[in-house]
Amino acid sequence: MTVTARESAGEPYTLVVVAGEADITNRDDLRGVLDAEVTQRPTTLILELSRLRFMDSSALHVILQANRALDRQGGVMALVAPQEAVAKMLKLTTADRLIPVFPSVAEATGG
Amino acid sequence: MTSEAKEATIGKRSPSASAAMSLTFTTDLAAVREFVRRCAQEAGLAEARAIDLVLAVSEVAANTLRHAKSAGTLEIWHDANEIVCQIRDRGFITDPLAGQRQPDADASGGHGLWIVNQVCDLVEMRSDESGTTIKLHMALHSS
Repeated sequence: MTVTARESAGEPYTLVVVAGEADITNRDDLRGVLDAEVTQRPTTLILELSRLRFMDSSALHVILQANRALDRQGGVMALVAPQEAVAKMLKLTTADRLIPVFPSVAEATGG
Repeated sequence: MTSEAKEATIGKRSPSASAAMSLTFTTDLAAVREFVRRCAQEAGLAEARAIDLVLAVSEVAANTLRHAKSAGTLEIWHDANEIVCQIRDRGFITDPLAGQRQPDADASGGHGLWIVNQVCDLVEMRSDESGTTIKLHMALHSS
């Protein structure tokens, strides 16, 4: 799994690209990146998932925790372009009702 | 079903079943998933169902990693009707209804076995102090 965070210049959002396979064995890396980003108090934190082939429930919990922390400080999270396996996980856990899912970054930012 | 009847079912394998493919795992869950993908493809499981099966086995294997403190074994076989994934470890699941109730989306745990029960056609679980055996069944051709 690779996690890359990009603060967008001039745009009121932060983009985090998560790629590979996220599970219980590497969720702490994901948590580290997301916690650091949440601390920056972004208005919108976008997780771009188009190259994430797999996500298990442990990795999803890390995302849900970050979403809660962000929500408490008035920010919002958005998920972008999940592949089939990841979309299935979001649906089965109904996490897709807690965090909005968009087909593209442009749509997530309302652009 | 009485516990005796369940025990009989758990040991049974159809006479026409393929030879079981087996993998011992500790922390390499990506290898577990790749193994399931390959076996599912060989068995002729449809792509969308293969995604479900990979998800289910990965969740069970993650439980092994979290609770069992020793290696787990995964065996996969299929016959004309279904593919079966059997995961064994030394852990002990104390809640016989684990995975039967849907956790809140925001719950901090308990989604793993819930997902397993949602995507598989049949889940058999046997657990005692000597270990846990979980058998996941998935029909090869949806009715």
